[in-house]
Amino acid sequence: MIILLAIAIGSLFAGATYLMLRRSVVKLILGLILLSHGVNLLIFTMGDGVRRGASPLVDAAGQPPPGSADPLVQALILTAIVISFGFTAFVMALAYRSNQAVGSDDLDDLSTTDRL
Amino acid sequence: MLYPLVLIALAAAPLALLARLPGRDRIAWGLALIPLAIFGLTLAQAGPVWEGGQIVERIAWVPALGLDLSFTLDGLSLLFTLIITGIGTLIVGYAGHYLGADSGLGRFLAYMMLFMGAMLGLVLAGNVLTMFVFWELTSVTSYLLIGYKHDYADARRGALHSLLVTGGGGLALLVGLLLLGQAAGSYELRDILAAGDVLRAHALYPAAVILILLGCFTKSAQIPFHFWLPGAMQAPTPASAFLHSATMVKAGVYLMARLSPALGGTALWDVTLAVVGGATMTFAAIVAMRQFDLKAMLAYTTISMLGALTMQIGLGGKYGAEGVATNILAHALYKSALFMLAGVIDHECGTRDLRRLGGLRAYMPQTMVITALALLSFGGIPVMFGFVAKELMLEAALETDLGATLSVLAVAAIAVTAAAYLVTGWRLFSNTFLGQRSMAAMQQHVTDPVPGMLIGPGVPAALSLIIPLALLGPISGLIGPASTAIYGKPLEVELALWHGVNTALLVSLGAIAVGVGLARFGEQLANMRGWPAWSRGDMIFDRLIERTLAGATALTRTIQEGRLRRYILVTALAMLLFVGVPFASFGLGAIRFDLDPQLQFYEVLAVALIPVGVLATILARTRLGAIIAAGVVGAMVSLLFVLFSAPDLALTQLLIEVLSTVFLLLVFSVLPVRFESFSAAWVRRRDAIVAAAMGLLITGLVLATATNDAFAPLAPFFLENSLEKGKGANVVNVILVDFRGFDTMGEITVLFIALLGIYGLLRLRQGKNDVAPERVTTAEPAAEPVDTKR
Repeated sequence: MIILLAIAIGSLFAGATYLMLRRSVVKLILGLILLSHGVNLLIFTMGDGVRRGASPLVDAAGQPPPGSADPLVQALILTAIVISFGFTAFVMALAYRSNQAVGSDDLDDLSTTDRL
Repeated sequence: MLYPLVLIALAAAPLALLARLPGRDRIAWGLALIPLAIFGLTLAQAGPVWEGGQIVERIAWVPALGLDLSFTLDGLSLLFTLIITGIGTLIVGYAGHYLGADSGLGRFLAYMMLFMGAMLGLVLAGNVLTMFVFWELTSVTSYLLIGYKHDYADARRGALHSLLVTGGGGLALLVGLLLLGQAAGSYELRDILAAGDVLRAHALYPAAVILILLGCFTKSAQIPFHFWLPGAMQAPTPASAFLHSATMVKAGVYLMARLSPALGGTALWDVTLAVVGGATMTFAAIVAMRQFDLKAMLAYTTISMLGALTMQIGLGGKYGAEGVATNILAHALYKSALFMLAGVIDHECGTRDLRRLGGLRAYMPQTMVITALALLSFGGIPVMFGFVAKELMLEAALETDLGATLSVLAVAAIAVTAAAYLVTGWRLFSNTFLGQRSMAAMQQHVTDPVPGMLIGPGVPAALSLIIPLALLGPISGLIGPASTAIYGKPLEVELALWHGVNTALLVSLGAIAVGVGLARFGEQLANMRGWPAWSRGDMIFDRLIERTLAGATALTRTIQEGRLRRYILVTALAMLLFVGVPFASFGLGAIRFDLDPQLQFYEVLAVALIPVGVLATILARTRLGAIIAAGVVGAMVSLLFVLFSAPDLALTQLLIEVLSTVFLLLVFSVLPVRFESFSAAWVRRRDAIVAAAMGLLITGLVLATATNDAFAPLAPFFLENSLEKGKGANVVNVILVDFRGFDTMGEITVLFIALLGIYGLLRLRQGKNDVAPERVTTAEPAAEPVDTKR
């Protein structure tokens, strides 16, 4: 499984890098979204193995299920998902606003603050 | 109690600010009592040192690191402490007169007190790391003093040069001292000095010696680092007299002398010191002879003397040690006097250019007598203290163990230097006091200064005569322990004026004869063509700085040229270079391919849809297509969370995915409806290669790290303690709100800031930079219309 995940994470990073290198602001946003997926999965693989059917929920006696999944990476990813959403939303607002001000969605037109 | 000596000086700095008030000269003499008190306190407790012992004091500073604040008073420290505080007393008083008209006197004296504390700390430190701290402090305070007249560009330049050169040397010194401590197994000076044989045989010895010498040579202005010292003459004259002749520049000499018992005795140490010191001594003496500015002249003779001291440490032996100690004292006396006299002349005549001075003997007779005394000692004329010191220098050259060639060369260099000193001294004297009454003297009402201003130069100049005639006994008692510290073995020192007719005396007299003979040609020598200006050290250094700055600017323009994709490209390439290359070289062995027997076909399908979705996002022809493809990727990631026991993640991811898509559609509805490629085909190919390399690197890193079980997982702690300590069954939630609650608070803060930013972007439209799209082209008429139809 880890091999497949590694390939998927690699493809997410590769696609994100390529999209972020484009001049279109739309592609930049899409690249950021893919990058955050890649990073989340990357953190996921850093935990104590990938487990099936063993969510980190303890029973009434405080006992976790046998072979429980790593709760720490899940907590970290939960934070990461929310923060990357906040960040993406900010970039979207920025794109909207800069388009309003400059009239272009080409990032090369945003290379200087002195144009305005 | 040694540390109060340092503390008193440092604590006196705020007190010195009092000298802003009127009556500055009297306040300055009052402040001069502080160094005088330290002088007295030192003498009062120096009893054991006269007998060849030492006082050691340790205060635990950072016990966990084994770092103590330790102070040691031995012969060499005592000699330096007395010079620093003795000359310091005179100079503080003198400064009150010299800068009496300057309301900045308080600030100046505060810097001087700080410097004095740093310098005392340096020579009293018993631990090389403690010493280094004070060493750097002297560089910083020196910078402040040289740049005192900071509205002059030359003062700033001189200050910067001295800081960069001595600071750079300080870095080398720090590494050298660390290596030394490693090799000796201790940073205490006593232990290092006791470990001489171990050190000299140690593998780190050459590196440590070279680095330490770099620090000493820069501090003590040895060739090729000498150029900062003439530039430092931009400091007010009292600072020049104190720092740049009597004390700070001798810090390098002090350290070399201090370490020579441990590090000396090898060709690397002895020959380097002898050759560099000898070359500096001769070169600077000849340059000094040709100067027209009084202070520049004195600055070069100081460099020359620092070279002489360095050379004597290298020449070694009994006479080398005695010569160093004696010359340090003799030089401090006559050179501080000469600097203060140069200040007096400058102060009274408004110039220190030899071409504009002259005929002052009728107007400044007292000044002339004191100058003559100091110059006689400087020239090494018999019965003066400078003569006694020069004889020891010649003996050191004659008796050295470094072989006949170096011995002869050293004697010749000293003779040339001695002759050049005489020419320099004669030029200084005759151009100032003899000859025609100068314009400067006529224009101003020139007289001897107030008596208080002559105390400063008068006392050391008089001592230069009194010591050899009446005080050689007590001074031998001071020089003896100092020489012992330099030599490493007990030395009995009996300084004497008359050693009988020997080689040293004959060489000395010969040099005096040549010097006197050359003196009448002094002006011709000075007016001969010299080196072209571009070859001067300070010019070369300026160009070096300029080139460095230009190079840095060019580099910044290349990697940060304003376009976002360039920044991202540079970041990606840097990651490939600094992570990818080492990983490809050393890390590939860590990759393991663990097959998973429980692998299900739907899992494969979900994972496989991710690269497919990524590819589709890139290749999509329309924005909607790209959004849908990215949505598929997000959905598959959520599905993976479902499959692999992360229900909370799956829920959150799905929710965010939906929100993101809605936002995307909203934003896209207002952006131009274009989705074609802006970039040329080759750019896209290049980016694809970089992106693919990035993907490969990450894949490799995941394979190498995810299967690594070198560290115990943290998971069991949270699983076991969730219910008991966190009172919750959902361990992920307990971590978020309890175990790592502060992380969550940070997360909320980030979200809130993003929210504020978005609100600001969308709602605050009254900004003056707000230009409607259709107005952009009209707002920028001819210059550079924004091309919206690219």
